[in-house]
Amino acid sequence: MTVLKTSLRNFLAHKGRMALSAVAVLLSVAFVCGTLVFTDTMNATFDKLFNTTTSDVSVQPKDAEDDKDAQRTGRPETVPASLVEQLRKVEGVRSAVGSVSTDKVTLTDAKGDSISPTTGAPTIAGDWGDDEKKKMEIVKGHEPRGPTDSLIDADTADKNGIELGDRIKTITASGTIETTVTGIAAFKSTNPGAAIVDFDSATARGHLLGSAAAYSEVQLTAADGVSDEQLKKAVVGALGGDYKVQTKEESVKDAAAQVGSFLDVLKYAMLGFAGIAVLVGVFLIVNTFSMLVAQRTREIGLMRAIGSSRKQVNRSVLVEALMLGVVGSVLGIAAGVGLAVGLMKVMGTVGMKLDTSELTVKATTPLIGLALGVIVTVVAAYLPARRAGRVSPMAALRDAGTPADGAAGRVRAAVGLLLTAVGAAALIGAGRADEAAQGSLLLGVGVLCTLVGFVVIGPLLAGFVVRLLSAVVLRVFGPVGRMAERNALRNPRRTGATGAALMIGLALVACLSVVGSSMVASATDELDKTVGADYIVQSDTGQQITPAAERAVQETPGLTHTSRYKNVTARITSPDGKTVKDELAAADPTYARDLKTETVQGDLSAAYRPDSISVGEDYAKDHGIKIGDKLGVAFAGGRTAQLTVRAITSGDSALGGGAKYLAIATVQRYLPADKLPLSQMMLASAKDGQEKEAYSALKAKLHDYPQYKVRDQADYKKTLEDQIGQLLNLVYGLLALAIIVAVLGVVNTLALSVVERTREIGLMRAIGLSRRQMRRMIRLESVVIALFGALLGLGLGMGWGATAQKLLALQGLGVLEIPWPTIGAVFLGSAVVGLVAALVPAFRAGRMNVLNAIATE
Amino acid sequence: MTTAVSIPRTGGGGRRTAVAASARQVTKAYGTGETRVVALDSVDVDIARGRFTAIMGPSGSGKSTLMHCLAGLDTVTSGQIWLDETEITGLKDKKLTQLRRDRIGFIFQAFNLLPTLNAIENITLPMDIAGRKPDRAWLECVVATVGLAGRLKHRPNQLSGGQQQRVAVARALAARPEIIFGDEPTGNLDSRAGAEVLGFLRRSVDELGQTIVIVTHDPVAASYADRALYLADGSIVDEMVDPTAEMVLDRMKAFDARGRVS
Repeated sequence: MTVLKTSLRNFLAHKGRMALSAVAVLLSVAFVCGTLVFTDTMNATFDKLFNTTTSDVSVQPKDAEDDKDAQRTGRPETVPASLVEQLRKVEGVRSAVGSVSTDKVTLTDAKGDSISPTTGAPTIAGDWGDDEKKKMEIVKGHEPRGPTDSLIDADTADKNGIELGDRIKTITASGTIETTVTGIAAFKSTNPGAAIVDFDSATARGHLLGSAAAYSEVQLTAADGVSDEQLKKAVVGALGGDYKVQTKEESVKDAAAQVGSFLDVLKYAMLGFAGIAVLVGVFLIVNTFSMLVAQRTREIGLMRAIGSSRKQVNRSVLVEALMLGVVGSVLGIAAGVGLAVGLMKVMGTVGMKLDTSELTVKATTPLIGLALGVIVTVVAAYLPARRAGRVSPMAALRDAGTPADGAAGRVRAAVGLLLTAVGAAALIGAGRADEAAQGSLLLGVGVLCTLVGFVVIGPLLAGFVVRLLSAVVLRVFGPVGRMAERNALRNPRRTGATGAALMIGLALVACLSVVGSSMVASATDELDKTVGADYIVQSDTGQQITPAAERAVQETPGLTHTSRYKNVTARITSPDGKTVKDELAAADPTYARDLKTETVQGDLSAAYRPDSISVGEDYAKDHGIKIGDKLGVAFAGGRTAQLTVRAITSGDSALGGGAKYLAIATVQRYLPADKLPLSQMMLASAKDGQEKEAYSALKAKLHDYPQYKVRDQADYKKTLEDQIGQLLNLVYGLLALAIIVAVLGVVNTLALSVVERTREIGLMRAIGLSRRQMRRMIRLESVVIALFGALLGLGLGMGWGATAQKLLALQGLGVLEIPWPTIGAVFLGSAVVGLVAALVPAFRAGRMNVLNAIATE
Repeated sequence: MTTAVSIPRTGGGGRRTAVAASARQVTKAYGTGETRVVALDSVDVDIARGRFTAIMGPSGSGKSTLMHCLAGLDTVTSGQIWLDETEITGLKDKKLTQLRRDRIGFIFQAFNLLPTLNAIENITLPMDIAGRKPDRAWLECVVATVGLAGRLKHRPNQLSGGQQQRVAVARALAARPEIIFGDEPTGNLDSRAGAEVLGFLRRSVDELGQTIVIVTHDPVAASYADRALYLADGSIVDEMVDPTAEMVLDRMKAFDARGRVS
């Protein structure tokens, strides 16, 4: 009881000193809870959406898009219209309605500018039927009534300023249709971010499916008393196995699984970053409790002298930690819900309208938050608590203010050096590894060991690095700089832990920036070496090129040639009798010039001869294939061909090294025209001296097809750089959380140090140190600690990054590029961070009353 | 009797005045209304240049407050304080800091030294802060005088209490301040170490012409001074020239008795 009372009094007495630790706990818990609430809400929202829009039983074509064996023809799969009548007669069917829906479309305004979502969400075109009416209601105009009418969703209309009466174009694989917007409909609940365009049934079937006598699927409602399961059984009985028949439950589960897997990735990525922040927070909490215990040494000594047991002292510190954990977690849980609401608002700005009234807070979320906060805090406080228990009763009698626990132990040094050495060895091993799996394992071990090793020897490194930094940076500041250096050095363990917290976040930043810029450099290098074509045409969202767009590219003036590239699905039987499913690279013969691929045997252009093919080096080795051997190639949806191997490509080239090339003409002989996949990409080259003209001509030609982009090599590289840059920025943004916690750690250490050094500060002020000099001294100490963390972090991170590059060299990351500007900016940024962290502590130190500080109790 | 103004403002026609520091009608009060506590009550005092002055008095008499005010560490409620010709009451923190740095030396009872700096760095700290070069010869003289030559590279925690106070004395002397204030400079020392430190202070007055003011309640410490001032309840109640320990002790007993009677 007394223990609890003392702990409570101490906790309340040191509210201020605990505040930053509480903020660290709060931030970590908030991030975890926010992630959970957000993803749970998304899941619940989508479940609800799917549940309201799915019919009791649906009948779809068997080889729909998600069937892995189908060719990607870009044309929607259909069921015959006659199926509707057939199904109406099935026992237990109350109604059967054919509907049209496809996402293989692009929507533009009258000028031809895309109004499809830019976020990767689909554009869905269909008929204004029952399923649409379930999720949307018309807010302006009327439903589509004739071949020139169309209806779009309100969000797309708002975003692009489209009004009733405006003309829009819908681009499909079979052509482009232009219609007038006669209706605008709003989602009843959540808009998942898609753009919707609907026509009347006949127009939808004719334009979108290419046949009036077809539907995308048939939706069935069960008669009263008939369960979905029973209905499905009856339907399968009547139709046989030619169609994909799903109950509502199955459809919802399928749809939810797709969204869910995306949300899971999001969830675990965000939890991962939260985990890093938690780790960094641990350093902060350890430092706080170490300093509180050190400051209270005499008090603890007194408690021991008057009879408290070690255990009681130990427990009193842990109880304080427990209280801190509870307070931080409870606030964190509340902040997490707020964060989730904020995330939902952010999603709203990129097109996905989430209703905050549907906020889903599962019972487990606060429990997880509380458990996380409390366990982390108590575990972090354990070591300082044990140290408190070891304080001798004699401490009460000693006059020493703060015991200098300066000397970092020899054991610590040995353990730290050993771990670092093991880690470094593992990293070197990873860099030299031949196999990716083994290399990744070594990389993981290396990263972990070097990180822990650096944390352990941090206090030793602090002495060395701080002296080095002082020699370079602080010398110019004279005695104030020297005192800042001494202060940073006086407790290496504290400086080490504070710097290590910053080190973790910055190491990850450095590592990722090295990998990112190596990716750009490697890709650029590879492009320079292999791509002979001047222009690349493809869609940024992976959409295939429609025949009309293909013709537009081919008809562009000023080009020497264009090459199409298609992925064709086939099963390949090698001479040794083994069969594997594979994607073949079908292209025009000029592709061999446009993408230079080294061969180890034969000439690649020979692979484009009729009934010929090339294989990769590895495949040839595995199956003992020589030039002239025949492969049995069964094209999905077509016939089986015997193709002769004319070339074996080198496995070293990153771009298309292992691909099996053949001519599109060869594929066409075995695959019916309607099963031929659309092109994935096109390459084109300009006639000499006409590069500029051809580029603008291509751009002009493709203006009607805004889903595709044409880029010359320079623009392509730029795009690649931008994409990787964006990805890195996103990751840096998430790492900012860990870095913020680390900065709080620096503030915390300084603030507590200032309190601890009250008398020193008073003395210095008394003998003539001005406020300004005092503030500068604190700021310099802060900068040195921050730079120490940065130096360690950047060094460690660059080591990890370089190792990852060596490892990924096998996967095409051939060039190591250290982004010095980024590294330099982070280093300088750390100095700024140090200055910012010192703002409040320095201000408080400057304000400290000289008399209080020197008063003899 | 709240006055200890016995010295002429100017000495025998010298450039500098004979008074190193002075207070006029200095009042220091804490709180207001019912809870108002007066620590100094209209005190007038002059500190003679080149002399060793001891301020004495029981706990709570206001002796430390008087010293803090004279040294520019604390502000006064009313009245004026001069350091030589400079009025320091009303100076801004920046000026006051400079004044302390350049013209005043301090010796405190405890915690005089920065633990991160070694002895010589502590000694030269005020000059380092000011960006001034210490006078080598003078520094060596001071160090030799306080007998620290062999220990200049030691950190404070490697020195005994007496040695630490000697470092503090050296620091106070090194910058050649106009006046040195000591707040119970021997309060934490045993009698032998205390005598040593007081001896150094005495010698610096006699040999170097230093002005020194110490606050103490130790009659032995006061006996090293040229003049002792007695404070009680915020007022100067008595003064004594060339005090001896016995005289001081007797005087204090008398005050105590009077205190008990009243």
